[in-house]
Amino acid sequence: MKQLQSLQQTRGRNNSFRNQSPLDSTADVTASVKSPSSIFWLILHCFSCLISLILGFRFSKLVFYLLFSTSSVNYLYTTSTKTTSFGGNDNIAETMSFTTSLRSLSPPVGANVSGGVVSRVVVGRHGIRIRPWPHPDPDEVMKAHKLIEAVQREQKVMYGVKNPRSLIVVTPTYVRTFQALHLTTLMHTLMNLNYEVVWIVVEAGGVSNATAALLEKVEKSKVRVKHVGFERKMPIFWEARHKMESQMRLRALRVVREEKLDGIVMFADDSNMHSLELFDEIQKVEWIGAVSVGILAHSSHPDEDPFEVQKNVDEEDEKKSPLPVQGPACNSSDRLVGWHTFSSILYKGKSANYIGDMAVVLPRKLEWSGFVMNSRLVWKEAEFRPEWINDLDMVVAAGGDDDIGSPLSLVKDSSMVEPLGGCGKKVMMWWLRAEARADSKFPSGWTIDPPLEMTVPAKRTPWPDVTPELPSNTVKVISSATQENTEKRATKTRTPKSRRSSRGKRKRESRNADARVAARNSGEKTQ
Amino acid sequence: MGLTERPKKKTQLWKKASVHFLLCFIMGFFTGFAPANKSYFSTQNVLASNVPPEISPPREEISDTRVDHENGNFDRSMLDETLEMKVQERPNVGTIDDKGDMANMTHRRLVIIVTPTSDKDELRGVLLTKMANTLSLVPAPLLWVVVESQSESTEVSDILRKTNVMYRHLVFKENFTDVEVEMDHQRNVALKHIEYHRLSGIVHFASLYNVYDLSFFDEIRTIEVFGTWPMAFLSANRQRVRIEGPVCDSSEVIGWHLKSLNNSADDATRSPVHISTVGFNSSILWDPERWGRLSTDQHTSQNSIKFVKEEVLEEDTKLKGIPQDGCSKIMLWNLHIPKVIKG
Amino acid sequence: MRGFVFLVVVLFGFLLNLDHAFELRKGQKTERISGSAGDVLEDDPVGRLKVFVYELPSKYNKKILQKDPRCLNHMFAAEIYMHRFLLSSPVRTLNPEEADWFYTPVYTTCDLTPNGLPLPFKSPRMMRSAIQLISSNWPYWNRTEGADHFFIVPHDFGACFHYQEEKAIERGILPLLQRATLVQTFGQRNHVCLKEGSITVPPYAPPQKMQSHLIPPSIPRSIFVYFRGLFYDVGNDPEGGYYARGARAAVWENFKDNPLFDISTEHPTTYYEDMQRAVFCLCPLGWAPWSPRLVEAVIFGCIPVIIADDIVLPFADAIPWEDIGVYVDEKDVPNLDTILTSIPTDVILRKQRLLANPSMKQAMLFPHPAQPGDAFHQILNGLARKLPHDKSVYLRKGEKVLNWTAGPVADLKPW
Repeated sequence: MKQLQSLQQTRGRNNSFRNQSPLDSTADVTASVKSPSSIFWLILHCFSCLISLILGFRFSKLVFYLLFSTSSVNYLYTTSTKTTSFGGNDNIAETMSFTTSLRSLSPPVGANVSGGVVSRVVVGRHGIRIRPWPHPDPDEVMKAHKLIEAVQREQKVMYGVKNPRSLIVVTPTYVRTFQALHLTTLMHTLMNLNYEVVWIVVEAGGVSNATAALLEKVEKSKVRVKHVGFERKMPIFWEARHKMESQMRLRALRVVREEKLDGIVMFADDSNMHSLELFDEIQKVEWIGAVSVGILAHSSHPDEDPFEVQKNVDEEDEKKSPLPVQGPACNSSDRLVGWHTFSSILYKGKSANYIGDMAVVLPRKLEWSGFVMNSRLVWKEAEFRPEWINDLDMVVAAGGDDDIGSPLSLVKDSSMVEPLGGCGKKVMMWWLRAEARADSKFPSGWTIDPPLEMTVPAKRTPWPDVTPELPSNTVKVISSATQENTEKRATKTRTPKSRRSSRGKRKRESRNADARVAARNSGEKTQ
Repeated sequence: MGLTERPKKKTQLWKKASVHFLLCFIMGFFTGFAPANKSYFSTQNVLASNVPPEISPPREEISDTRVDHENGNFDRSMLDETLEMKVQERPNVGTIDDKGDMANMTHRRLVIIVTPTSDKDELRGVLLTKMANTLSLVPAPLLWVVVESQSESTEVSDILRKTNVMYRHLVFKENFTDVEVEMDHQRNVALKHIEYHRLSGIVHFASLYNVYDLSFFDEIRTIEVFGTWPMAFLSANRQRVRIEGPVCDSSEVIGWHLKSLNNSADDATRSPVHISTVGFNSSILWDPERWGRLSTDQHTSQNSIKFVKEEVLEEDTKLKGIPQDGCSKIMLWNLHIPKVIKG
Repeated sequence: MRGFVFLVVVLFGFLLNLDHAFELRKGQKTERISGSAGDVLEDDPVGRLKVFVYELPSKYNKKILQKDPRCLNHMFAAEIYMHRFLLSSPVRTLNPEEADWFYTPVYTTCDLTPNGLPLPFKSPRMMRSAIQLISSNWPYWNRTEGADHFFIVPHDFGACFHYQEEKAIERGILPLLQRATLVQTFGQRNHVCLKEGSITVPPYAPPQKMQSHLIPPSIPRSIFVYFRGLFYDVGNDPEGGYYARGARAAVWENFKDNPLFDISTEHPTTYYEDMQRAVFCLCPLGWAPWSPRLVEAVIFGCIPVIIADDIVLPFADAIPWEDIGVYVDEKDVPNLDTILTSIPTDVILRKQRLLANPSMKQAMLFPHPAQPGDAFHQILNGLARKLPHDKSVYLRKGEKVLNWTAGPVADLKPW
């Protein structure tokens, strides 16, 4: 430390010299301004000064190079030398000689052997440098994340899909209890894509504000939403729903046809789940491709409490058999030879008939979700598509009832379908049909207003192991928190929280507060 | 050469000249010693160091044994030096050249998402993928702590790897038969990691079956100490929608939505309020004094979850309802899917 | 007076020249950085040098390996693989008269404790015995006293043959090897144990194992800084501050609570995969300045953050380490976060592009069978660049330079 200070002082002095030297030379000038020779001398003097300055600089550099081969010198180090012998055996020699010295002055033992060259590196004990407040700096955290983002972006550019085509996503939906949950999940998936996405959302029962509000949240991403209304209401029987969803998808395809949207069309139901790899994979499609769909068909035991997390899952614990998969089947040369379909025979008569039926919801033979296609397949102008493709209108007319089972109907020769994702080796999307019962209700916009009646005062209930004595009569619980009971809202209990009071006091207090709140509530109502 | 007549003056002049030369030489010599800026950043650091140092609190005591050990041998003189070193080397970040960049850089608090996963869950892979898709949209900084029991399977690692979210994948060796007990253990494993690394952020326990509105992540960043919010529980093929969580007056928690009590008492003690409806500042785990709590010694290692639950209840003054305007907006849903059928 | 001016001019000129010399050196450096390195890296040593491999009794090599096959996967396995490589290499000559270099196959570091740590206590005697053997059976050693011989000494402190730095420094390079060229892992500038002209090589890292853990380069890098390993070597350094000169301890103490730093002592099964997900990988010194992490970082495309003052990096004349890595002084470890976050984005991206270069990765590995441009070839290239030998290395008849009785008495005992 001291040496550093002295160094700085010398440097400071140097600076003062720098200031003085011109003064000195001006003094020279005034003294010997008379003769021209003196001017020559002055110039020579200055020149020489300059030379010695440069000489000094060079010399120091030379010294620097010789002494410390890399950048800055560390004078701050306190080092202590110690001789210990360590290794497998634990005999630590107790010959410790702690010397606190400047590291540049304490060359390592034996360093002189190598031709008097002194290493900067000191053998012995070093201090562990800990900064006084070792916590992350928020600015640096943000910078680091920016760097990570930049690196990831670069990786996408280098190794991702080159010049991705835009994506046209077709999603049938309707307002229901599970809509927000499903649609949000799908929306998040699409928002991760870093190329143009046109999302055609066809809503049964016409365009609704609830759906529109959900779709608004895609802002700031590359997703462009086309919210299309479909006049008819969604039926509650699964068979009819499947059919109607097909019609809704066809409606979306008409939009593609009319607006001549160019890109890859995929059919994403709002309850489907996708891995982001899928989107890279489907970029490979030329005309029509098929991907494997993992079928998450779920059972439902009526006696099972739906709100309990599955305890003891799989008592039988079959050896982790894979999920059923629906999708293309290939021969050894990766040509499409057939289809893996979900074996629904097992569930004959046990499958769900209507939405909310306590039985297995089965997929159709081939789900639309398993297909992707070039949007030009549905364009009006035939010159944009290969011959083995049927015109959309013709197919629909032939099928009657405005329904086609799957995009396969568009193809004259189904062997032209391109299997994607290693022909079923990779499952990158999953089909799930989880729905609440058709008569289930939910708070509009998922805003609870006014609060549900199922309330208990703060400090009391959340963790019964804290308040195990909780008597049911002190809590004015009226009934379960179902929405069909919303008429009873008026009887809601609002008990104010009491602070910094013992439990005994609280009871009394809360009663008072109860009245207060009631008063406030009524006040609010009159406003 | 008019000056040659006066030898005395001449020698004086020479002396003067040589002194000048010498001075210049020394000057040059020391200029050469000025720190060479080998790397582009070191100069900035040096230049920015003339800012008065903040008064730095002394090093905190750390409960970790290894560090304790290190503490014992801590050279006091080194501490002094490091303090001084701060003056020398610790740059004030604000003065770094890219000020423009700084201006539009908003500081966000770290969000720590803890997700326990069970290999008994058929949907784990699918739901992890889904969760990753959501979390990757959350503005940084976010740390996703995913826990699973040690196994041969690389399923979780393979899925996590594909996400661009910053995550920690923790494993543990213990075996459990009860899933819920295991989940609690996993949460404790995560909390231990947070505590050991003294990560500072808002902790949220995200079940794989949760679905989020993105605004949720903005909201929980506003939590100071404890926060709570309502959550909707949806179940396939059921009519009922259950809502759990706080009832608020503005952001003040005045009551709780509660699960119906007609269930058996056993069930009620099991998981009365979902752990996903509470969030807290992780520093209560490793720096309880800061929040006026006693030392955590008695709770920590074994059951941090329990500690957190207790704290939430007792610290009602620090408990904040979210979102702030009456915590009436539901920003997360929990989806119950009955057992999945295998092929 | 004139004389003085003249003197000044001459001196000035000299220093300018000196300056020029510096610039020249720097110029070469920049040239190397700007891509000519690729040329050196992909050089083919065949035809540029001939190596004669001494036939030694198997007790110097094969038998030792038989005793402990763990040596094949050890960090110092380069000495074994180099031998195998040379035996079948086209640069090998069976005619010692036409050889440029002579190689003595001794496995001096293949003496592992049950824990797998090498203890080179016997190495000096073994090496001495081997040299005695070749100098009495062949005329070539005495011709130059080893100046055209090279030895592979990959141990922590190279040919100083001691695992403790202080002892190693005390011992110095084995006197008999003072004229030979050393191929060693150890690289600490201006260190007694690093001889001028040595070839610094990377430590051995199992190539197949690393290959099997490769993940697609498109996997997003979501870790900012990654490190797995010791921070304190409590067993050997209970006090702290000796191990890694305190640098690793400083990393831990300053950054254990920083979510950007994924650092821990636990070695996960996904270690190699995690490195491929990190932007920066810390390569702090351990007991010796180098770390196998350096090799791993290059192979896995993670920018190595080299924390080891005055380290001499492997094949530094062929690999532009300044361009692919980040150097952080040991004293600057407390500011690691600031240093790393202030690197401009394009600099980071450039480093990553360079790291993605397969020839860079190849040079770090000792694959079997050997592949063009791998570490074996880099060693040969390095040896070829030293050719032709300076005339002065050849001794006159009867001239002796080496002192056969120098060094600790214990080393003089027969092996």
